[in-house]
Amino acid sequence: MIKKILIVDDSPISIKIIKSCIPKDMGYELHDAADGQIGVEKYKEVKPDLTFMDLTMPVMNGFQALEEILKFDQKAIVIILTADVQIKAIAKAHDLGAFSVVKKPPAKESIAAAIKEANDALIERG
Amino acid sequence: MSKNDNSQDMITTAETDLLQEIMNIAFGRAASDLAEFIDIFVILSVPQIELMQASELPVYINKELVSYDKVSVVEQNFWGKFRGSAYLFFPSGTGKRMISLFDGGSKFFESEPTHEMEQETFMEVGNILIGACIGKIAELLGDVSTYSPPRVVVEKSNRGFVADNLFDPDNLAIVLKTVFEFNEKNVSGYLFIVTKQESFGWLKNALHKYIEQYE
Repeated sequence: MIKKILIVDDSPISIKIIKSCIPKDMGYELHDAADGQIGVEKYKEVKPDLTFMDLTMPVMNGFQALEEILKFDQKAIVIILTADVQIKAIAKAHDLGAFSVVKKPPAKESIAAAIKEANDALIERG
Repeated sequence: MSKNDNSQDMITTAETDLLQEIMNIAFGRAASDLAEFIDIFVILSVPQIELMQASELPVYINKELVSYDKVSVVEQNFWGKFRGSAYLFFPSGTGKRMISLFDGGSKFFESEPTHEMEQETFMEVGNILIGACIGKIAELLGDVSTYSPPRVVVEKSNRGFVADNLFDPDNLAIVLKTVFEFNEKNVSGYLFIVTKQESFGWLKNALHKYIEQYE
């Protein structure tokens, strides 16, 4: 079951928006990080069950952070939450091992569905 | 952010953050539209938002483009509740590489591409990027935009371009800037969107309405 969620995004307002879209009734423990590098460090520290990752960020972008996280934890569930909706960007995220891609701006329904999908995958893995 | 007497009251840090995120979403959509039209991958960067006196704008843009000797510029005005001007700058020598984006890199042209071909290519790329970006900002904020035809100036010194076309220099302006690269062609460019002071009141309200849906 998903208990801990990490949100990696350089925009404080975007983090606020994503948090507001995460269902409150499940009591998830929420963490956030302001760029890819901090996100990787936070991932290692918190070991979240699910990570929402932006792509366009300073210091370390989401593609690099995704690779680093998967190097550390091959089973990491990282959902790319991005404004970069180019087909090649989405394909690259999948190729690198992203669990799924959700387009910005997020909607409560799309975030809830993404979390459910990730939760089902976790349960299936045992 | 430039400081002047009333700028602090005009737009808050939270509003700037939200506008930056909206610009991020809008330019992401614009890049996607362009990538569907021509087979490229646009490398995006984090947009920047600046509030300044409109008269400071030419100096600001010159500073940003300091490494560009000559530029090609696409300028387009837009109207709606959100109104202003958009400037898309490419460095000197970009035109020929841009043309090859449209012909798939083939040696279709027997002779060197003409000035008109370069102009049309810039116009097409500018029309897509500016139109999609402004359109998405307007859509997210509950507005609809109309546009002037794009105006293209090829291979001109960047000095003075904006100054010559500036709206009332005494006004405040919000500048939304993003830098991008076309991966395959080693082409980079700048997009500046400048909104007029008369849009500020509407913009602040629209930003608040936008964030309310998440509260």
